[in-house]
Amino acid sequence: MKNINIWYLSSFFISLLVAIPILTVFSSFFENTSNYFEILKNTFLLEYIFNSFVLLIGVLCLTFIIGVGCAYLVSFYNFPLVSFFKWALILSFAVPPYIYAYSLTAFFENYGTAFTILKNLFGDGDYNKSIPKFDGMLGAILSVSFSLFGYVYILTRASFYYQSQNLIELGKNLGFSKIKSMFSIILPSARPAIVAGLSLVAMETLSDFGAVSFFGINTLTTGIYNSWIAFDDLAFANQLSFYLLIFILALFILENYSRKKAKYHSPTKGGFKQKEKTNLYNLKSFMAFLACAIVLFISFIFPLTQMLYWTIIFPKNFTDLNIQQLLINTIYLVVLSSSVLIIFSFISNYGNRVSRSKFLNLLTTFSVSGYAIPGVILAVAFISFIAWFDNNVISFFEIKSIKKIFIGSILGLVLVYFVRFYSLACNGIRSGYEKINRSIDESAYLIGYSKLKTFLNIHVPYLKNSALLITILISLEVIRELPITLILRPFNFETFATTAYIYASQDLLEAAAVPSLFLILIASFFILTTSKYILREDNE
Amino acid sequence: MNKNFLDIENVTFQAGGTNKVNNVSFSIENEGDIICLLGPSGIGKTTILRTIAGLEKIKSGKIKLKEKVISSNKINIEPEDRNISLSFQENSLFPHYTIEKNINLGTERTNKNKKKSINPKKIIKLLNISNILDKYPHQISAGEAQRVSLARSLVSQPDLLLLDEPLSNIDQSFKEEIQVQLKQILKNLKITTIVVTHDSYEAFYLGNKCGIILNRQLKQFDNPYNVYHFPNSIEVVNFLNRGILVPATVTGENSLENDDLGTIKGNFIKRHPKGSNVQLLLQPEDLEHDDKSNLKLEVVDRKFRGTNFIYTLKTLSNKLIPVFVHSHHVHQHEVDEKFGIKRPINIDHIVCF
Repeated sequence: MKNINIWYLSSFFISLLVAIPILTVFSSFFENTSNYFEILKNTFLLEYIFNSFVLLIGVLCLTFIIGVGCAYLVSFYNFPLVSFFKWALILSFAVPPYIYAYSLTAFFENYGTAFTILKNLFGDGDYNKSIPKFDGMLGAILSVSFSLFGYVYILTRASFYYQSQNLIELGKNLGFSKIKSMFSIILPSARPAIVAGLSLVAMETLSDFGAVSFFGINTLTTGIYNSWIAFDDLAFANQLSFYLLIFILALFILENYSRKKAKYHSPTKGGFKQKEKTNLYNLKSFMAFLACAIVLFISFIFPLTQMLYWTIIFPKNFTDLNIQQLLINTIYLVVLSSSVLIIFSFISNYGNRVSRSKFLNLLTTFSVSGYAIPGVILAVAFISFIAWFDNNVISFFEIKSIKKIFIGSILGLVLVYFVRFYSLACNGIRSGYEKINRSIDESAYLIGYSKLKTFLNIHVPYLKNSALLITILISLEVIRELPITLILRPFNFETFATTAYIYASQDLLEAAAVPSLFLILIASFFILTTSKYILREDNE
Repeated sequence: MNKNFLDIENVTFQAGGTNKVNNVSFSIENEGDIICLLGPSGIGKTTILRTIAGLEKIKSGKIKLKEKVISSNKINIEPEDRNISLSFQENSLFPHYTIEKNINLGTERTNKNKKKSINPKKIIKLLNISNILDKYPHQISAGEAQRVSLARSLVSQPDLLLLDEPLSNIDQSFKEEIQVQLKQILKNLKITTIVVTHDSYEAFYLGNKCGIILNRQLKQFDNPYNVYHFPNSIEVVNFLNRGILVPATVTGENSLENDDLGTIKGNFIKRHPKGSNVQLLLQPEDLEHDDKSNLKLEVVDRKFRGTNFIYTLKTLSNKLIPVFVHSHHVHQHEVDEKFGIKRPINIDHIVCF
């Protein structure tokens, strides 16, 4: 008990705050639900589960092929523009799955962009029949995959980077062919990184709301949203969340497990020898270039140009939209959320560091699992908790209801963002902290620095670069975030993401293009400013 | 009433909730004294320093600095309020500051009441780190980092300086020079110091007193000469590894008998009854080479140590005995040859267990 000080308490309350929505979901398992559950069980529940599963498998297969394939090409071979592709391929992060879905539909739909191109090239004709339709499940798989393959690409590339030349030479020495080396040495040693990337993809896929709802596919996530919106059954929404959460936690454990394993392929100081890339010539070089160019085109240039095209041919949508207000709202949320997240993550991490409490560490580990919980679940759980607190605690003291303060307000929105992205901020600051030896703190104490002075004069300046990178990553997430903003935003408060969604859900895809374009551009700007950090060779 | 500079009274030192060294008591009598703590790796030497610095708490016993209790089960003065400086074994430099800034941070707490003030430039010159002042910690070697850390600790002129293996990463050629200069500075500035090291020669040179920590206990705390020549237990003998124990029988007030070496004479440090069987400590310098002697032992190994050779000789009862011989000594022996031992054997002081 002697270790409990202001730092401990701050860290404890921050972790507790983040853990509340997660605990709410768990506790709801024991609550009564309306008869919606019975209806659903007999009708759509199996379909929800089946669709979620098919989506997951499809996305995992596609992201594995694209992510690992691109990482392999840029890591082991030299071909034209390889340095450009190395960072350009991460631009796919700027396109959220729902915007990709809009682009896909806009291009391939009847009388869509593809039709217009064919008509302009070959004159009038019935091209609609010959244009493939990427909607429904296939559309959802493509949208989510091309938006998320970056996770697999980044982690696998970093892992390939660390594969020592010695390892490759060992394969040659044993007489392995290139194919055999790839499957016997290169891929197995990058396995933990690949699994880690795929786990992130899986979590994001299961929590995706925008793309699947756009294609009208019923998954567990849309089921949660519907049970709350259509049937007003919070308890059941939470119970459904619980099942999804169990599934996601299993993935989370898998990801943690594989990250621990990842230590096995960290470079040793003495044994690491920089790889020599193989130069490709002629057809092979062209094929490698083409593969990367196609992925870049499909994942980034295609949705960007589609949105740009619509913005240009429908200028009225551009002038009608209050871009300035949307920009202010988006930036407002970004600044507010990232500041709060960074400050609290600093405090929480330092509290953990100073107190060295196992309990606190456990609580923090639990609370950072918020990232694995879909935004829809968090938003619903937050509303459930506020409603419960208001009905049971606030009303007991006969104080004015707090619902309005937290639900449909910026405060509530930022609070749920906080829970959702706390893991990103907290883990980011923590990994920075792990690089600071504890004896650094102790040295500071021994030259007379107090804990506060050590924090402000030693840690904060040292971690400022990490903090900047994390701020930008959070900003990227906040800009792209859809379901939480949709559920919890104040009345008449729109961002680029919600505006795009609202137009798209009304079948006004042309109008959705303008906010989507701005969203892609702002996100691209953030990605470009941090690409050197994201691709940093020691970022594992 | 004693007025020791530092008192450690029955302290059990803990790290991470585990007892490392139990029930330790020792004192530093005078300001400016240097104490060296010796012991094998992982025994808890660093924990002792960390506890004295205030980085670890104690559950039993008391630590008093200048008669003021700084650690007990009730009192724990924070490290930043102790004016005790600890120079860590591993790199503990602030990574985002230059070397110069790192050193100057040490002066922020310099005790203004000190009669003699230390000149940082002098320390920088002594430790040969003038050429790296503009660099950052990641740009310097481990040995340089250790010297910078030492410089930072020295310029802070603490009441008590704690050095954890301060010269372990420093080249042998430079080490002895630094040892000499370091001792001089500490003496001139009267900086009371506790040095943790596993190098017994470093401890014997620097320390006014040496403490030997073995098996979670402070086994011996004495001046270096006594620790070396009069070890108080078999464990200390084994740890210092500067001699071997051979069985012998006490035959008189100044003599004993060994089956292989015959009669050995000398002054007993501790009395043993006549006729008792003991373990006699034989140190390499106790026996003398004499090829004319009829006591001849087989050479099983010969180590060249620059100024001397250390012969390892095998007795008839297969005991291995080390013997020093000056390296200019003309009668060298190869392995398997016979090596004569001068008789009668006279040892300056006889240590038996």
